[in-house]
Amino acid sequence: MLNVMKNSVPSLQKWGGKMEIMNLAIANIRKSKSATASLFIFILVAALLLSIGLMVITQVNAFFDNKAEQLKDPHAIIMMDNKSYHSRYGEFIANYPGVTGTETEEAIIMNVAKFDFANSELTSSAAIFNADNHRNIGTLKLIEKLDNSSANDIFIPYIFKTNGGYELGEEFIVNYQNKDYAYRIAGFFETTMMGTTNVGLMKFMLPETPYHKLADQLDKLATGMVISALMEDKIQSTKLLNDFTREFPQTAVGETTSYILGLDIEMVKNVSTLTINIIAIILVAFAAIIVFVSLIVIKYRVSNSIEDGMTNIGVLKAIGYTSKQILSSIIVQFVLIACSASVAGVVLSYGLMPLIGSIVSSLSGLVWYQKFDMFINLITIFLVASCIVLVTLISAYRVRKIQPIMALRGGISTHSFRKNYFPLDKTRGGLHFLLAIKSAVANAKQNIMILLIIIALTFASVFSVVLYYNIVSDKTAFVNLFGTEPANVMITVKPDTDTNDLLNHIQQMEQVRNVNIFDLITTKIDGRTVYTNVTDSYNQLENNTVYEGRQPKHENEISISWVVSNQIDKGIGDTVEVQYGTETVSFLVTGLSQSIGNLGQVAGLTMEGIQQLYSEYEGTTLYVYLDDISNKSFIQNVQEQYGDYIVETLDIDENIESQTGMYTAAVFAVMVIVLIITVLVVVMILYLVIKTMIIKRKKEFGIMKAVGYSTIQLMNQISISFLPVILIGVTFGGVLGYFFTNPMLSVLLSSAGVKRLDFIVHLPIILILCIGILILAYVVSMFVSLKIKKVSAYSLLIE
Amino acid sequence: MSKIIIKTEKLCKSFSNGGIQQHVLKNLDINLIEGDFTVIMGSSGSGKSTLLYAISGMDKPTLGEIDFAGKNLAELSNDQLAVFRRNNCGFVFQQIYLLDNMSVLDNVLASGLLINKNKRELVQKAKNLLIKVGINENSWSKFPTQLSGGEAQRVGIVRALINDPRILFADEPTGALNSASSDNVLDIFTNVNGNGQSIVMVTHDMKTALRGNRILYLRDGVICGELQLGVFSEKENVERHEKLSAFLTEMGW
Repeated sequence: MLNVMKNSVPSLQKWGGKMEIMNLAIANIRKSKSATASLFIFILVAALLLSIGLMVITQVNAFFDNKAEQLKDPHAIIMMDNKSYHSRYGEFIANYPGVTGTETEEAIIMNVAKFDFANSELTSSAAIFNADNHRNIGTLKLIEKLDNSSANDIFIPYIFKTNGGYELGEEFIVNYQNKDYAYRIAGFFETTMMGTTNVGLMKFMLPETPYHKLADQLDKLATGMVISALMEDKIQSTKLLNDFTREFPQTAVGETTSYILGLDIEMVKNVSTLTINIIAIILVAFAAIIVFVSLIVIKYRVSNSIEDGMTNIGVLKAIGYTSKQILSSIIVQFVLIACSASVAGVVLSYGLMPLIGSIVSSLSGLVWYQKFDMFINLITIFLVASCIVLVTLISAYRVRKIQPIMALRGGISTHSFRKNYFPLDKTRGGLHFLLAIKSAVANAKQNIMILLIIIALTFASVFSVVLYYNIVSDKTAFVNLFGTEPANVMITVKPDTDTNDLLNHIQQMEQVRNVNIFDLITTKIDGRTVYTNVTDSYNQLENNTVYEGRQPKHENEISISWVVSNQIDKGIGDTVEVQYGTETVSFLVTGLSQSIGNLGQVAGLTMEGIQQLYSEYEGTTLYVYLDDISNKSFIQNVQEQYGDYIVETLDIDENIESQTGMYTAAVFAVMVIVLIITVLVVVMILYLVIKTMIIKRKKEFGIMKAVGYSTIQLMNQISISFLPVILIGVTFGGVLGYFFTNPMLSVLLSSAGVKRLDFIVHLPIILILCIGILILAYVVSMFVSLKIKKVSAYSLLIE
Repeated sequence: MSKIIIKTEKLCKSFSNGGIQQHVLKNLDINLIEGDFTVIMGSSGSGKSTLLYAISGMDKPTLGEIDFAGKNLAELSNDQLAVFRRNNCGFVFQQIYLLDNMSVLDNVLASGLLINKNKRELVQKAKNLLIKVGINENSWSKFPTQLSGGEAQRVGIVRALINDPRILFADEPTGALNSASSDNVLDIFTNVNGNGQSIVMVTHDMKTALRGNRILYLRDGVICGELQLGVFSEKENVERHEKLSAFLTEMGW
């Protein structure tokens, strides 16, 4: 019995101590309800963004892989016209190590098909399959379909619904070789391979009857063969395609009528998930900013609560509470807030995931199914809560050093070395302005907090607005990233035509500013297949993709992308072996270029350079730059005058518009999220700070009212006292945004092949944004400081 | 001919406390004369401070009118009252209420600059007043927490006088001071009153009340007695003390 007593007394004391700490913490929370509420919202938003960002980043790859598995999509496909097909190809694939299944089937392959997509005309290659064929690889999985069937039904990828603006039952027109083929959309299907607009090849399915009808209508060239392969390890699919092209080199150089196209799942996955990953990274980065803001707010709150509760701390210490117990009550208070807010944020993230899922669907053409991810949820809560505990601990540590008697005296030490900044008798300026400045200086710590927050938020806002401006408003720099030459119209010339002669004729046409030969061919550089641009003079082009060194000028020079440079371990000044057809010649690397397109594997040769490998090479693609004429009118004119020499024309602007449309919605969503959060945080920070300030300076405001200051004068003083720090913060944030948005985006996009980024940072927009934040801050501070109206001089005196 | 500076008619002030109406001032009619040193006395809860703050425009009456130099304070908005106070009133409080984050000189100027355009003249005036009340140059840049209670109250008086108020209102100005500091503060009051400054002071201290020339006694929200003491003179202090003592006894003090 005695033993029980001995054991239970300390544990009861311990339990009682814990209860007291909890009670103190809860009492602190109750005392500052609105400040707790604002902190709760900050942490909630941070946990929400972090949870969404981490879930998307960690799940998107698995999501894509699982989809490929569910849909039994091929890991590699090779398609070619019938003329190019050889039965050995199928045998090579079937016998390739790691291939677990292969199928070869006939399909209609349109090299350049056009269709409306998101109110623009999209040009892409199209592979049209017979939906009724039996197949084990790449089976048709419809997400939505009509209940009835008709003779002109078509099944199209789901992205046409999520991004292209189509609905079931609507008309879908494919334009091929200037002829329209109209169908009724009978269903949307999911596919990981050829399901998006950004790989340049799209898959369609026609039921038996319309398929054969179309095949009969088209010339034999449009009928081709598609070899699909499944692999044990799908990562090997890239190697499979490389080995295939090494085994069966394309010898029919210079021909536009013969082709072999290859796609592997890794490449398609990279292209499809790139933007999703970038958006997720931006969300995580922004979550980090919000966590940072929350930590600063917590530091401010802890310092404030220690100062305000100094006498209480003294009393607690005097009656025997240890520093550890008092410290614990402060930490428990913030741990309670952090844990409950981050759990709420994580729970809420599942509510927002359908929205994020719809963005993922619009970018990938795949239906996103949200999974419960306990691990990521716990990581999010742990990250947020541990940061908060750490900062609380550091901020509250000084409680240990405070002596009880010092705390009871309100923490005032015997000496004061305060300086009277901006003395009213000596400083020039209006009374209210000077009082505001004095207040700003007197609250330096708090203002540093606001400064850091405003800098971070302004930078984030500038970043998102620059992103939006360049991807939605003026797409030049964004399009340049893909290595696309910003001409207006592309003309593919018939093989037997004198390309230079046609170029000269087109150059003479009215409203034509410039014409360049700009081909994209496939060569092998040190044994690797690389997309290679060919032009007469790179000086004539408007998009210089070389970021280090220069584009080739002479016949023995070549530029390679940094991706190729890494792959072959060669740089500027090195010599590379370039193979085209059967010829191989050495070239000197003069520059490193960048491109998001073609997985960043690009190179550039001059016309003289390619002619060393194939002396009759003339070029087949003309890039036309126009002035004061619509692309459509020009295409009509050029077809009328030179139609006999032209295989195909392409409205580059419209094609870019339709291909970049999917990014527009995603980037707009990111911008809106960032701006909403910026506004929310600015409003809440000012609310928190001004409210605390009014409570702390209630006596001071009461005295000022008693001596004759009006409410509006005091409100202006409060607002103006915040303006310098907000102005400095906005200016710093704006300047940082102006100079560092491009470097930061380059880092974000480096995995996609970007080394240097020249997004237009439009100064007037940044100025408008900064002025907007400043005005918002002023209006909010005026609004919040309206509370001062309630501080009456009389209530102060009768307190 | 004495000039009335404040005149109240049926002045009422009530407070609602937990749904119970508490009538602190009841149909009060008083006249305050320009140049007088009026002292309002009464027991605790009699409504002295409430009356002071009502007639100074610090608080609004529940009913009735307050004519202050021709303006009916009851009709003014809060901000109009603030402007009125800065132009016509000076306040000295028991708790002193200096602005902690400002130096002595800035505390005075923060009030003076509200209505004075000429900063140079105002600074000089503030310095002269500070010297006059015994706050020398060494203390001008000090913060209120670095001053003694007496020093701080003298700064408070300078702040109240900087705008040449029509009336200086004082609510227990010596309540938080020691004897020596109290005498010092009261001497300043007597001096400025001697120069024509109207003063209305609330106190429950006899020694402090002796400085006034007119004593009003408040009980349960009504003026129940008035005593004319005449201008303060050190020589007649014993007689004044007896007179006031008798009056207060009569009032039930």
